[in-house]
Amino acid sequence: MDTIRQGWRLGVLGVLAVLSLSATACAGMSWPQWHGFLETDAALKLSDDNTKRDGFNLLEQRLQLKTSYFVEGENYFADHGTILNFKGDATLDEYFGGKSSFDLRELNLSFSPSMSADVKAGRQVLTWGTGDYLFINDMFPKDYVSFFAGRDDEYLKKPSDAIKVSVYPQQINLDLIVMRFEPNTHAAGDRLSFFDSFQGGIAGIESDRDLLEPPLQLSNNEYALRAYRNFGSNEAALYYFRGFDKSPRSYKDELNRQLYYERVDVYGASLRGPFAGGIGNAEMGYTVSREDSSGSNRLIANSMLKGMLGYSRDLGNDWSIGCQYYYEQILDYGNYRDNLLPQDYFWDEYRHVVTQRVTKLFKQQTVTASLFNFYSPSDRDGYLRASLGYNLTDQWNVTVGANLPWGEDEITEFGQMKKNKNVYVRVRYSF
Amino acid sequence: MKREIKTTCAVLAFCMAMLPAAPARAMTVEEIVEKANLVSYYAGDTGTADVSMVITDSQGRVRNREFRILRYDVSEGGEQKFYVYFKKPADVAKMVFMVWKHLGADDDRWLYLPALDLVRRIAASDKRSSFVGSHFVYEDVSGRGTEADTHTLVDETDDRYVVHNVPKDSQGVEFASYNVWIDKANFMPMKIEYYNEAGEVIRTVETLEVQDIQGYPTAIKSVAKDLMRGGETVNTFSNIHYDVGLTEDIFQERYLRRAPVQWIR
Repeated sequence: MDTIRQGWRLGVLGVLAVLSLSATACAGMSWPQWHGFLETDAALKLSDDNTKRDGFNLLEQRLQLKTSYFVEGENYFADHGTILNFKGDATLDEYFGGKSSFDLRELNLSFSPSMSADVKAGRQVLTWGTGDYLFINDMFPKDYVSFFAGRDDEYLKKPSDAIKVSVYPQQINLDLIVMRFEPNTHAAGDRLSFFDSFQGGIAGIESDRDLLEPPLQLSNNEYALRAYRNFGSNEAALYYFRGFDKSPRSYKDELNRQLYYERVDVYGASLRGPFAGGIGNAEMGYTVSREDSSGSNRLIANSMLKGMLGYSRDLGNDWSIGCQYYYEQILDYGNYRDNLLPQDYFWDEYRHVVTQRVTKLFKQQTVTASLFNFYSPSDRDGYLRASLGYNLTDQWNVTVGANLPWGEDEITEFGQMKKNKNVYVRVRYSF
Repeated sequence: MKREIKTTCAVLAFCMAMLPAAPARAMTVEEIVEKANLVSYYAGDTGTADVSMVITDSQGRVRNREFRILRYDVSEGGEQKFYVYFKKPADVAKMVFMVWKHLGADDDRWLYLPALDLVRRIAASDKRSSFVGSHFVYEDVSGRGTEADTHTLVDETDDRYVVHNVPKDSQGVEFASYNVWIDKANFMPMKIEYYNEAGEVIRTVETLEVQDIQGYPTAIKSVAKDLMRGGETVNTFSNIHYDVGLTEDIFQERYLRRAPVQWIR
């Protein structure tokens, strides 16, 4: 399957290369400007677990390069405002013994085939929805290892290989996305420890789960649809997603420790606008577990209902605050519980999370202090993210921070991460 | 329709300029302030410009910002929409800041972060906070509604009106009052001094260079100084064009996510 995946990737690259070359040949492009940064990241681990390394969970050098070509001349692409975007990260990862790798984050063509339509095709980062670090209708892939390990926020979002078509008729805006399945990146025991049900507790390198991704075939493509519009200053959106759970929450074969990504449909809606001197947002989603719609199969995750409310505002003097309440309910919970085996670990029916964010800028906005806190009263766990960033110049930035997940139990969302507490430092030179 | 009225106005203005100067009726302070507001923030129905900001802090350290600004007037002297596309420094390149300016209500503000493809809504209750870390505040960039202050004409020289302004609501403003020196010839505010309760000057904004662009007097260089903490920001405008045919639909989420190529290059 890896071969197929490689092939798919090469195919995408090939198409884009041909497009860009032909456009260049036809017309020439404006000389590109390259930007990016060089960065060193290091994170010291504050707790003991059984991951690959003791003492730290991040030590890497990173070079990011990005550019955009505006296609020019007398050709279809130039006439339709085409931009070719590229962004790639080369990393040298000391955590894995100096392993070097290249992460292509963007390689896409963006153009407008008509006055009221845009297309973006290729590898791209996709985001929608109204939450702050909480996602209901944003079913695009995320990298929670980067999130907990102390990399920049940018790396929470993984890119997708996708074609995004946006159309703008009179009254409403529509986004339709077709994409290849890409799972979330979760702790796997090598860099970050987590709760592994096969190991019966928090596991590190001993974890030997097998995560089965859906085979690469047309019927496994994912579809995401958003219809949105403004009502004055308020933004309303409806969402639909058909694809797979991005996290491996269902069991394929317990004996062989195989987990997989069950098929889901998600129906959702959101509203965002001015509220009480700040910005208020509300979002909900109904996730249908298509392979277990009655909820009676203990191996497959059930359908769920999710909702959240948020509020953020400026307090003046470069202070800003935000808070959110998030709610999640497993549907058909009776059926689920009735079919569990005595030794099974199980999820609770309800989960509540509240978050708080406080941000303050100092020294002519060159210093950013930020605290973000997740707290779940139902799971009795939480996660505090603190950071202090200083732009010494337009080029140099130093950021220090801490990731402090905690929990009374080992099985809960943040509780299972509690042995990954760290403090980190990032030094970045932008150009 | 609006365009026709505009043209008619322009023709009238031209004809009037051709007439021998007649002793003008003394303008009321409201008329002066209103006219200065239009000259500063409403030249043309639409406008585009490249802005270069040089921010110097109290210790002499220099930072640069470069962005392109697009403006659309929904109504003359009324609501406006702004689109700010950042080019430098590198860490904010391609970031977009969009404002729907309302009179008598909080503005709507959006920030687009390209690395995350994230359209963030920003609470806009604080119009007196620094714009992108400079010594200009949001209100310097998009205008302070003339109805926010009471105005008194305190002095008149051969070429300047001097208007004293006191905020009607002192909540959320860092000054007690401010004076504006307005050029009598073209109604361009040339200097603004902000005072604290003790009457000390705490901040100044000065127009350093004015150019006629398509018939509109335009400040192409200005400086804001923080006299309390030190430091200043110099704004230089270039590539300025008015009545460029920008349409209102540019100021939508669509163009936050996909920058309008023809306008931002």
